[in-house]
Amino acid sequence: MRGVLGHFRELDLTVDAIEELKHADFGPITVYSPTPRHELEHVISAPPSAVRRFTLIGGLLGVTFGYWIAIWVSDYWPLVVGGKPIASWVPYTIIGFEVMVLVGALSTVAGMFINSRLPKITHTVGYDGRFSHGDFGVWVECDPEDASKCEDMLRANGASEVRRER
Amino acid sequence: MAATVKPEEARDLEVLHRPNIASADVQLPAVRDYEQVDNEITATLSPTAAWYIGLFIAVGFLLIGIAAWMYQIYSGLGVAGYNPPVMWGVYIITFVFWVGIGHAGTLISAILYLFRAGFRTTIYRCAEAMTVFAVMTAGLFPILHLGRPWKFFWLIPYPNWRYLWPNFKSPLVWDVFAILTYLTVSTTFLYVGLIPDIAVLRDREKNPIRRRIYGVLSLGWRNSDREWRHFARAYLFLAAFSTPLVLSVHSVVSFDFAMGLPPGWHTTIFPPYFVAGAIFSGIGMVFTIIIPLRKWFRLQHYVTLNHLDAAAKLCLFTSLVVGCAYMVEWFIAWYSGLQVEQDYFWNRIFGQWWWASAILYTCNMVLPLSLFSQRLRRNTTWLFILSIFINIGMWFERFVIVIPSLSHEFEPWQWSGYRPTWVDFAILAGSFGWFSMWFLLFIKQFPVIAIAEVKEIVKPRLKRPHDHGINISGQHVDYERETPGKHE
Repeated sequence: MRGVLGHFRELDLTVDAIEELKHADFGPITVYSPTPRHELEHVISAPPSAVRRFTLIGGLLGVTFGYWIAIWVSDYWPLVVGGKPIASWVPYTIIGFEVMVLVGALSTVAGMFINSRLPKITHTVGYDGRFSHGDFGVWVECDPEDASKCEDMLRANGASEVRRER
Repeated sequence: MAATVKPEEARDLEVLHRPNIASADVQLPAVRDYEQVDNEITATLSPTAAWYIGLFIAVGFLLIGIAAWMYQIYSGLGVAGYNPPVMWGVYIITFVFWVGIGHAGTLISAILYLFRAGFRTTIYRCAEAMTVFAVMTAGLFPILHLGRPWKFFWLIPYPNWRYLWPNFKSPLVWDVFAILTYLTVSTTFLYVGLIPDIAVLRDREKNPIRRRIYGVLSLGWRNSDREWRHFARAYLFLAAFSTPLVLSVHSVVSFDFAMGLPPGWHTTIFPPYFVAGAIFSGIGMVFTIIIPLRKWFRLQHYVTLNHLDAAAKLCLFTSLVVGCAYMVEWFIAWYSGLQVEQDYFWNRIFGQWWWASAILYTCNMVLPLSLFSQRLRRNTTWLFILSIFINIGMWFERFVIVIPSLSHEFEPWQWSGYRPTWVDFAILAGSFGWFSMWFLLFIKQFPVIAIAEVKEIVKPRLKRPHDHGINISGQHVDYERETPGKHE
């Protein structure tokens, strides 16, 4: 993966740089920030997260499994009480609800990991430890022939440090 | 002609002007920049002499509890003061007490997150850790209550051919599902919130072994926009799942009693009454933990008096709800016209158990009324003292629910007394030791305040402040001098 990394100390300069880089369309842009910022979210304008689909599917699977296990167990090992149903949906709603929350929550986290591509076990090109501290980083994946223009653009927008990576 | 705004522009404007969740109503005037946040919060990870002493005391209490448990296993459950018909005692009381303590963590981290209550930002990490360790502690008590604890897995309702057929209509089985789900989800919630902070520790760490451990625990988190986007969404959904879970778990615990027939138990107000009590006790424990922590770690400018004031208002509100539930209980007993119910309440308040009821009502109804005073809400010494009273009061609330009902059932031959033994008290002390040990170990490995979320409310470095259409007003409201009270 080849590209250029711009290191910024100020948020507004980072926003300016991203805006200009997006217009220039060198390639995919990755922004590193110590905390989520709406200004960055706005300028990046990424599509909505797909995590919600994992949540929905996990929740539905969980509630189905919760009801199913309670009904199946009651049916297979019946505890017969005269005048009472073998499988009763009212108490089983508690099991259905708890298992829905359990599976829904775990699949939400799984969705986050899958979409964020976590865990990462290899070094990430362009990442710098300072980005978790207080600085912002803009990584532009671009062809070597565009790299100089990209570097100039980052510097013109106030990057405190610019370097090519591969 | 009036200017029209296109739908996509309207959405953009909304995004621009929407404040960050952590920033609503929260001001940290003494925190200047991101570097200060990192330096001050990570400084709490260095062990001190006071921390070692605290850990030593906690482990000491734990050993006392373990010794008492071993004695109980050797001698039988009789040494724990159980005598028919009172076969639920200190262990069930303490189980409900710790489950209740575990509720404030998720309330603060999830429900207040959804309600955009900014004051949660600096206290939620402590509260979440408290939740996980409190539920871990609570989970021990059903096992401690067993004569043959090595067969604890028989409690888990899985299909089998040992004639232990799971009964999904039993509240005890619901309990297993509710508590295990709560433990799993609250642990997951704590860990997910910790990932960006562990990445901060990893990037600051010089020791290669610790750096590697933090690297593994942070799962290679890189602070990229992709990660933050999915993280924020997942965190929101986890909060959305945790909110009804908080309400359901203590409702299910209350069903352990409400589904039974003894007088005082068989009532429909138990679920909301238990949930309010759980939140009340949890906030009490948050004060017990956070007030010394902010002082020892010199974090008064993060956990400010404004935050404590807001949490104290929540404490007061839940105290009023709990107090209202107590009065409704008396009313139900009177209005029911049932002799048994009325006798039971008379015995509970004016008879055999008057002293326990007096402690309960004083600690949970009377003393928290002091929080109507702003001066006392902002007095950390009083808040700490009050929190101890609340902890005691909430333990006695469960005592008053469990013991008087079992010792004063329908027939006179069922009327008896109950006296906890030294084994009960030793195991109760051991549970505090177990909880404190985990908490003390946690605060020296991970940040007690969420670094990434605090950074959201700290002003970022800007070349041209208030320019370029960047909306920073939601993130760092200017310090309001007219805010009443003293600021630390």
